[in-house]
Amino acid sequence: MSEDDEPAKPDGGTASQSDPVEDERSEEHPLEWDEPENNDKAPDERDSVSHRAEKYDDRKLVTGQAKYTADYEERYPDLAYAAVVRSEIPHGRVTDIDTSTAEAMDGVEAVLTPESDAVPDAKYTSAGQSYPEPSPWDMHVLNEHVRYIGDPVAAVAAEDRATANAAVEAIEVSYEEDDYVTDPEAAFDSDAPQLFEDDEVENEIVGHDYNRNRMAHIEGELGDVDAALDGDAHVHETEWETIRQSHANVEKHTALAYTNEDDRHVLITSTQVPNHTRRQLAHLFDIPIRDIRVTKPRVGGGFGGKQAMVVEPIPLALSLATDRPVLYEASRQEEFYAMRSRHPMKVRTRTAVTDDGDIEAIDIYALSNTGAYGSHGMTVAGNVGSKPLPLYSKVPNVHFEADIVHTNTPQTGAMRGYGAPQGTLALEGHLDEVARDLGLDPIEFRRRHHMEVGDLDEIAGMMGGEGANRRIRSCGLSECIERGKEAIGYDDLEQPDADHLHRGIGMALSAQGTGVAGDELGAAQIMMNEDGSFHLQVGGVDIGTGADTAFLQIAAEVLGCDEDDIIVKSSDTDVTPFDYGAYASSTTYISGMAVKKAAEDAKERILDWGSKLLDEPVENLETGDGTVYSENSGDSVTLEEIGYEAAYGDDEREHILGKGTHCTEESPPPFAAQFVDVTVDEETGEFEVHKLVVAVDCGVAINPGMAEGQIEGANHMSYEMAVSEGITLDDEGRAEVSDFDEYGLPSATETPPIESILVETHEPTGPFGAKSVAEVPTNTVPPALSNAVRDAVGVRIREMPITAEKIRAKLDERGG
Amino acid sequence: MSHMQIELELNGETETFEASKADSLLDVLRANGYTGAKRGCDTGACGFCTVHVDGEPVTSCVTPVAKADGASVETIEGLGEQDDLHPVQQAFVDNTALQCGFCIPGMIMRSTALLDENPDPTEQEVREALSDNLCRCTGYKKIVEAVLDAADRLEGERAVATDGGPQDDADGRMLDSGCPPGRCDCSGGEP
Repeated sequence: MSEDDEPAKPDGGTASQSDPVEDERSEEHPLEWDEPENNDKAPDERDSVSHRAEKYDDRKLVTGQAKYTADYEERYPDLAYAAVVRSEIPHGRVTDIDTSTAEAMDGVEAVLTPESDAVPDAKYTSAGQSYPEPSPWDMHVLNEHVRYIGDPVAAVAAEDRATANAAVEAIEVSYEEDDYVTDPEAAFDSDAPQLFEDDEVENEIVGHDYNRNRMAHIEGELGDVDAALDGDAHVHETEWETIRQSHANVEKHTALAYTNEDDRHVLITSTQVPNHTRRQLAHLFDIPIRDIRVTKPRVGGGFGGKQAMVVEPIPLALSLATDRPVLYEASRQEEFYAMRSRHPMKVRTRTAVTDDGDIEAIDIYALSNTGAYGSHGMTVAGNVGSKPLPLYSKVPNVHFEADIVHTNTPQTGAMRGYGAPQGTLALEGHLDEVARDLGLDPIEFRRRHHMEVGDLDEIAGMMGGEGANRRIRSCGLSECIERGKEAIGYDDLEQPDADHLHRGIGMALSAQGTGVAGDELGAAQIMMNEDGSFHLQVGGVDIGTGADTAFLQIAAEVLGCDEDDIIVKSSDTDVTPFDYGAYASSTTYISGMAVKKAAEDAKERILDWGSKLLDEPVENLETGDGTVYSENSGDSVTLEEIGYEAAYGDDEREHILGKGTHCTEESPPPFAAQFVDVTVDEETGEFEVHKLVVAVDCGVAINPGMAEGQIEGANHMSYEMAVSEGITLDDEGRAEVSDFDEYGLPSATETPPIESILVETHEPTGPFGAKSVAEVPTNTVPPALSNAVRDAVGVRIREMPITAEKIRAKLDERGG
Repeated sequence: MSHMQIELELNGETETFEASKADSLLDVLRANGYTGAKRGCDTGACGFCTVHVDGEPVTSCVTPVAKADGASVETIEGLGEQDDLHPVQQAFVDNTALQCGFCIPGMIMRSTALLDENPDPTEQEVREALSDNLCRCTGYKKIVEAVLDAADRLEGERAVATDGGPQDDADGRMLDSGCPPGRCDCSGGEP
């Protein structure tokens, strides 16, 4: 609930923005956007957008009636249950798999090994990305060459869970063990044990050098960074390290596969990417795309962990082998060691800053540990630079470089923020340190350099492709900083009475994108029923974010109907139009714009019928309150009357349909300003975080309550990245975390108060002014907390997580 | 495997289920269509499977079903209906307290147990009561606000009942939460 003194309605896209600066490249990327008049509605003209509409699926969720994948179990009486045998060694070759005991067990329906007919031979990547994927095809569904403790080796289907698990225990795997390497710096040495031969990988990625375990190398530069670093300016260099964070999706990876009476293959699965999964399965199993149906029921969180085909091939292969429906539900332990995690990274930042505090150059280098396989490895590393660096779009010399290396450790993948958290720590922590070193106010220092409306951002695209030369048309950073400062009490911070306690505030800025520029597609269709209600079919994927609700608010705003009059059907590849899926902060912006276009298409037909029934020209007509009305005559006709007339009229009939498809070269950044208030005990290093404040410019918030929820949840995840160990590994790369008890997901008592502030600008390229919200607040707590500790006691923690032990060690170092 | 019959007083009705001795209460509930309780860890570490056994919140995944034989069990299915939500459910909806919803049945069962025992909890008491129920989506803020709001709603309901005003239905559900469902900008049912 909002604070009492906050307005119930947000300002709706009227945040103050600085005056734009024009330059000579304005023609190519004009500041002025050809925005339709109906896209920029004043807040008081909005009937559905900007309202805290009830989330579409909430009633079935709070009553336990909603169905997630595992809840479909009861519909399939002959369901078999899958379990997986996983490698117990970090690196080696499987020499023998003894399945005889397992196969002889009562209730075991099938045991699959890499040799089995039902198991595809093809290589693939699990990354759910566009096609061809910017990730290497370096995986097999089941593996003879195993590369980490957790690699799938064999799979079982049995009539119940217990039997499946017992069969897995009964399978004996013999290995020939190879040398292994778990440290990314050691792996990058040419003498290190090698995970891949060149011929073991297809669809190889730029800069790969498998002799050094490097799956990719990327680099980009504007200006001349070396020259600037060699000049008169102050050069600072800092190094940062981030944790292996688990998505910790509350719903585990789960998929149910069967073949239906039309001999077509159906997957009910907990995924962010139904269409990509369909294409990937078709490739792997050599089945035509049309013969695969992927449907997504309710999903218990994704956060990037399900932007991948992580488990689906296993139940499909078992279903083909047994001719029965098969459910595979990963165990919680498997979630921590055999699914995906955030790429742990070491990031080095260098800057050249003049005496006057002008930033002449920024150079960032990232060494990313992609684990045993390369899914999302190159693209995540690219975002270490391409997301945070554009914050300082006026800096003339910028260089970014990354090496992405394999180790014999669990797999990594996409995770909320997608490289930006690692880069934001390294940039925002660094700039805070530079400002303090040069005697500048850290916030003023950022203020002088940060992005503004009118800027032409060349940094996001400097490595090619994504976001090349973006014109910034909305930016609420200044107001984010102002309102964040006020909310945290920046100017009147009271120090504790005790001498050994010191209180400090840290700040960090962040930018993300809104979809992958030039590499997204969303589509939607709207069908009108004769009673004036609508079916909205949309490929956009609601994984718990509230996307379905945002879609119907957008559609209702266009159609002038009540939200209750729209039924949403999303993410069923047989029924709903195509969509790339829920990732890259794209859903509201890309899929939402497709919905808007579909609604406008339907509206055109509705107005045409209204014109016929009211005998007035279309130009006089508008939709609203479930009617078509004339602004001239005041006459109106209900959508229901139009629906019946269109379906059952005497002379002419039409099913009113609207369709919309959306792709764009644009990817406007949302922005965040994070503040952290901390007290540190200089004797013990122990610290207490009093409050997290994060002000976010997400353009117009389609549903402010849901947008706040996204921000608070993202900040909670970001806080975890700052204070928790993540998934720690032993010397062989074995995950030391097997359950929530051992993983540092902050509980309700361990989470500091979070205040989210919506700073709404109007983004002309987005539906009703919207841009993204879900990722940007994931990036900011690690640097802001590091900066706050620095502010409080003068020591700097660069290696996450921030702990009392590390602070005390630094204090001791300084004291000694 | 050895089979047995289990009798539960489930959401006020006497039910008999077939079960195996190794089954947890969660296994038996889910096998019989009570899928509101979710399987998150099988070790009692996440709270997604929370139900009430004889009035106490328990993690049903680590409760052997044999132990629950003859007990009174309340699950999320016994609370409100979609068109007639329990005040706690209504408060969660009105406060935008849920996103993916997977932890929510357990979270709501934990919350109703808290409010039965402590009708007027402080924010800290709510946080402590919910600390064994994890959530990955929300950062808990709106969940805590929803539980505090639910406490107010239930208090209001009791006050009306004491005044002899319009009575609730037999299960103690509010007839009117004060705001039209889903069409309200107050974000929490407060005026």
